[in-house]
Amino acid sequence: MEIYRHACPRNCFSTCGMLSYIEDGKLMKVSGDAKHGYNQGRLCAKGYAYTQYVYNPYRLKHPIKQTPRGSGNWERISWEEAYDTIADKILELNKRYGSNLASGYNKFSGNIGLLHYAVEGMFNSIGPHTKPIGNPCLITGEQAMRKSFGQMNSMMPEKMAKMNAIVIWGANPAVTNVHQMKFILQARQKGAKLIVIDPVFTRTAATADIFIQINPGTDGWLALGAAKLLIQSESYDQEFVRNQTVNWEEFHQYVNEQVDLHEVCRQTGIALDVICELVSIYSMAEPCATWIGFGIQRNVNGGKNISAINTLAVLGCHSGQENRCVYYSHSGIDDFPVNLLNHEEPEHPIVLHSREIDINNFAENASKLVDPPLKLLWIALRNPLSQDQDFQAWESLMNELELIVTVDLFMTKSAEMSDIVLPAASHFEEMDLNVSYWHHWLSINEKAIPPYYEAKSDLQIARELMKKLNDRSPGFSNFPSEREPIDWIRMELTPSVKKLYSVECIDDLLEGPRLRTEEVSNSSSSSFKFRLFSQGNKGTSTHFINRRKTDVEESYPFQLLTPQSLLKIHSQYETMPWLNQAAEQEVVELSEYAAEKNGIMEGDKVELFNQNGKIAAIARISRFLPQKVILVKQAGKNPINRLIVHRPQENKEKSSMNFYDSSVNIRKWREKNG
Amino acid sequence: MRKMVKQMGFVFNVDLCFGCMACEIACRNENQTDSTVRWRKVSRLIDDTFLSVSCNHCNSPECFRVCPENAFTKRGDGIVHINSDLCTGCGLCIEACPYGAPQYDPVTQKASKCHMCYPRQDRGLPPACVESCSTEALTFVDLNTFCDKKMVGTIPGFPDTRLTNPSIAFYPAKERNRYFLK
Repeated sequence: MEIYRHACPRNCFSTCGMLSYIEDGKLMKVSGDAKHGYNQGRLCAKGYAYTQYVYNPYRLKHPIKQTPRGSGNWERISWEEAYDTIADKILELNKRYGSNLASGYNKFSGNIGLLHYAVEGMFNSIGPHTKPIGNPCLITGEQAMRKSFGQMNSMMPEKMAKMNAIVIWGANPAVTNVHQMKFILQARQKGAKLIVIDPVFTRTAATADIFIQINPGTDGWLALGAAKLLIQSESYDQEFVRNQTVNWEEFHQYVNEQVDLHEVCRQTGIALDVICELVSIYSMAEPCATWIGFGIQRNVNGGKNISAINTLAVLGCHSGQENRCVYYSHSGIDDFPVNLLNHEEPEHPIVLHSREIDINNFAENASKLVDPPLKLLWIALRNPLSQDQDFQAWESLMNELELIVTVDLFMTKSAEMSDIVLPAASHFEEMDLNVSYWHHWLSINEKAIPPYYEAKSDLQIARELMKKLNDRSPGFSNFPSEREPIDWIRMELTPSVKKLYSVECIDDLLEGPRLRTEEVSNSSSSSFKFRLFSQGNKGTSTHFINRRKTDVEESYPFQLLTPQSLLKIHSQYETMPWLNQAAEQEVVELSEYAAEKNGIMEGDKVELFNQNGKIAAIARISRFLPQKVILVKQAGKNPINRLIVHRPQENKEKSSMNFYDSSVNIRKWREKNG
Repeated sequence: MRKMVKQMGFVFNVDLCFGCMACEIACRNENQTDSTVRWRKVSRLIDDTFLSVSCNHCNSPECFRVCPENAFTKRGDGIVHINSDLCTGCGLCIEACPYGAPQYDPVTQKASKCHMCYPRQDRGLPPACVESCSTEALTFVDLNTFCDKKMVGTIPGFPDTRLTNPSIAFYPAKERNRYFLK
């Protein structure tokens, strides 16, 4: 049996090192890579199911074409025909409008390997076009972290094992980052306290020594209340405050005068003695890790909540390592040139730049484009008709599009609405290079098996399609089609990357993943002074925005939370039988209060609705859910994001999508409506 | 039944399990079992702790006792093994086992069950489920020699052990403080 080395490329904290076991060109089984210091030879349940992912009966085998769009009338076509059709359209649009602005793409995180930036590289190579910008997932928090600390990087997550206390705000590693749990539980076995603060009694919360349930979106209140108590009892690091923070006077005055503990208890739903217990953890336990989950910033107060938590964590942190005790995300990719993403566009005589559209409002903004309108859309590594929101806007955008191409491994909701669907390779069928947005390891991903039927990697598609365009119209694209995957990987290993990760050549990575050298003291961060929470606009009685009163009191009294489920990532992994044992029905979790109010019993068929529409689901009554919260997990077939209501941001800053700000109502299913 | 030279058994630490199901799917990955066949099962208990159970390779296995074909054997290391050549798929063992360990395989039309990855153990490797457990909530030891005062024979939610004397031991969960919204 041959063994190859891989990195799991899912949009997940862990980016696990993985080994494949190959017999006669077939993947027989997988295992964790024991040389990877983060996942240490283990995988998660989804990772162990990869044989069913690769040889899945629903996997796309060939390029296919649908006429008319949405009819389900698919026919198999050759790659040649697919490339011809796409190239014809790109060239014709270019002729019609005088540039490639009518061609664009929508791409995100279906595979986070570095070579999957081939999609961006491909579009860059044809000059100015239409591209999404921003990040629906974590950018609000990233900006708040940079504002507080001047940078993003936290300590190696492995070091959580050495903490005396770990306070997790709104993250659920037991479901979304299972390999972190061993470090957390190692600390706990040595006597550390694990505290989980979450509106939902998650699997992580069930593991905690202390679980503090909080009203959703009010984490900032709790952090400021705890900071006030910490300051009152003088159990904060006064020398640190004097020397290494800015705006202390302003903050001190603010918590003294404006943070009312009664209001904190009322907003958060947490009793004062429980807040005191949290304060005692922050003032006693040293070292103490604070982990801020992405869920915290999926609401309109996201950035401020994170700023408040950072402030509490830093005031309570006596170790002098001010910025090292807060975990949010690690921007490992910043070390790399990411040549495909940054591939230089050829100049256009008139159009100077590509057109940028905020990815969080892509469909609506793209529909409004004129001179030229968007006519060709390339969807790759994403399933917007399941994971985006505002599906009505998508529908009207699609009506305007002349060609929709989707590259995927499976027939997703988005693929179903495309003209051409191209079969994508799995990570066992291509080479790649992977870093994590959490741990500090660098891995190579080898090609272990031949492509499944006619599947191709995004990079291979870019190489071939751009060559086709250049054959038709010499010089149309400046994509270096002759460059092999290994050449792109070699180009990522710049001298500074080699030094940081102690590698000399690709062969070193084939021997095993490499750990990034930890910076002992970063000069830019040591001169940076921590920015304490700031109230922002003066004169407002409170800086936290409450949910819209009309929603809360009238039509839609329940707040919708839509976290990940254990055996899926967004809409991925739905067709793996090992991971979907029970007959899959959408489940909605509601509180005993909500059930009683609406006459709903366990197992009833219910409908969840708001101004955007409705979805059907089976009711599961949870004794632990806050009264006014309704929870539905992410899934692809019957996407809950149908009910996500997008509200335009007030400021122009880039922000994550506020997925947890939507309101819904629930009632028993009515047949006549169905 | 004669005293085994060894009695390999699972040890399950309730405090370290958070129900990630890696063990269950790692078992399927290793043994490539049919989608309906679950040699190992993770379930959520009433107190929101988790339990991961497979065949417990009992000291007095009911499957062994009820099988009309004598398809079951107990190896020197205590692993209970089913010889699929002898199995007729009658299902008596499936009904008799208190832990739901033997599973009917619709493809082979026979019963099959966890063999504690003895082919791996014979090569010095741990069972796939044990290897996959990132917090070491699931481990395996020779219960004839291993002893720990903190270890207990059963936990609430585990089936009655008196009938078969299963080769499994537990560490119970620690106490926790939970502050729910009023």
